[in-house]
Amino acid sequence: MSEMLGNQYFMARKYTDALAELEPCLAEDPQNKSIKRKLVICYTQTGKNQKAMDLFIELVDEDIEFILTADPIKDDCPCNELVENLEKQNLPENGEFYTLSGILWLYCDLQSSIDVFEKALTFDLENKTLQYLIKKLNFYKDQKSLKLSS
Amino acid sequence: MAINDKLKDHILESIGEGVFTVDKNFKINFFNKAAENITGYSREEVLGRFCKHIFRSELCYTDCPIAISLKSKKTIYDYESKIQTKSGIAKPIKLNSAVLYNEEEQPTGGIISFRDNSELVVLKNSLEKENTFKGIVGHSKQMQEIFDLIKEISESAAPVFIHGESGTGKEMVANAIQATCARNNNPFIKVNCSVFPSTLLASELFGHVKGAFTDAFKDRPGRFELADSGTLFLDEVAEMPLQMQLQLLRVLQEGSFERVGESITRKVDVRVISATNINIKDALKKGILREDLFYRLSVIPIEIPPLRERMDDLFPLVQHFLKKFSILYKKQILDIDDKALDYLLKYKWPGNIRELENVIEYAFVRTTNSDIIEFAKLPATIRENSQKSFSITDKHSFAENGGEITKMLALLEKHHWNKQKVADELKIGRTTLWRKLKKLGFET
Repeated sequence: MSEMLGNQYFMARKYTDALAELEPCLAEDPQNKSIKRKLVICYTQTGKNQKAMDLFIELVDEDIEFILTADPIKDDCPCNELVENLEKQNLPENGEFYTLSGILWLYCDLQSSIDVFEKALTFDLENKTLQYLIKKLNFYKDQKSLKLSS
Repeated sequence: MAINDKLKDHILESIGEGVFTVDKNFKINFFNKAAENITGYSREEVLGRFCKHIFRSELCYTDCPIAISLKSKKTIYDYESKIQTKSGIAKPIKLNSAVLYNEEEQPTGGIISFRDNSELVVLKNSLEKENTFKGIVGHSKQMQEIFDLIKEISESAAPVFIHGESGTGKEMVANAIQATCARNNNPFIKVNCSVFPSTLLASELFGHVKGAFTDAFKDRPGRFELADSGTLFLDEVAEMPLQMQLQLLRVLQEGSFERVGESITRKVDVRVISATNINIKDALKKGILREDLFYRLSVIPIEIPPLRERMDDLFPLVQHFLKKFSILYKKQILDIDDKALDYLLKYKWPGNIRELENVIEYAFVRTTNSDIIEFAKLPATIRENSQKSFSITDKHSFAENGGEITKMLALLEKHHWNKQKVADELKIGRTTLWRKLKKLGFET
């Protein structure tokens, strides 16, 4: 296992290979936010949606800002293209679709992410994870607005 | 003596090869002057940026050389790639790549050194357009037979043994075999067995483990491991010490070996092409070359004739080298005068094609105010040696035949050495042409 090799696979958009390298690296270094941020994306691109959600919530709890500031150039964040691809795929617009979309949107835009998670919630109103996420993201948004206005 | 960082920087700045390093995220953190010249980017523009955004090579997504080094834990040499310059021009490069490790042996970054390969690619393409076989010029019957054999064995992975005098092009034949065989996309590793002292050859071929000998600071794979699934070219194989020959025989028979200082047996799948210029019969008789090894290596033997036995190839070779040097030296000299050619045809060429290439390069460099190589520009060895071997009749005969040689050779070249077509164009009988060629010393 090698974080550097995982980084290269991620850069080359080889998500399955990146996952295989980065997962054990995170086990060795559980505080590594950079690996977490990449792994969430790898999970979404390899059909491991539950794992994506679990790690996403962990990172949201830890540092929302770190997800939001992911930059397509500076950080080689592929989320713009991934959101675009997801929307092009004509997938059934169900709770899972919107959840996945919400995760990816947070790497680009907070409000869009909240909107999409709210759509996901309409398919499963009792979903505690989604409720928690939306609450957390809205709280962060309000805090940020407060900071800006003060 | 330890080299301080300032001196290291100075060295890296002054070399002609582009050098850059990346951190473990593949962001560029060093970019030397030559790299600026080759890519058109200034250092300030690239530092802190992802290498893939700068070089925009397809390989960044398929076969990143640093990723290959990371996976194989080996340095990659002479890897061909194409990058985009700042102005968007695709530029072929040749690069070496290695991984940088910290004290805990963890990868912390990578280093790539690269050089602009544009001119060589132009040269290669231009020479390939000629009537050659994988870059080998050979119109003679003997060479055509070798080319046919190479094509016939393209599906086989059997060992090939190439024998020929020094300078006949054994390595080029080995390259052609590799280029046409099914393993052509796999590693092709070359070892000159005479270069290494016997104590180091075992380590070079089979690798060693840390502590195996004084300078073995870390584990190192040998050439057999590097060539796994591909081909190993053992040049000057008969120079190998007898003990090593025994070890080589075992790899050929069983496909297995051990690194120096280690008892773990490793398996490899390697095709071996070997070559030598020594007299095989003598070597076997004197016990310099093991008979069992020789028979194992020479499943497919190839004998490359010396240039003096295939003088049909001399003129096409001269043309080939003139073209090559015209591109390399950026000056157009594409012909040779009759007298110079006559002397080249009379010379015995003990150093074979390599010697011919050197002679042409020498004359090419000396030719400054003409677009043709003149006799006076040939090295003294050719002018004097050939003169000595001339009889009075020979001189008379050559003077008499003058430009006829060049004309005939040009026609032979034009008609791909179809002698009937040449005779037709000269409006002479085929027998007359045969007689003329024979008189001029050609194989007919």
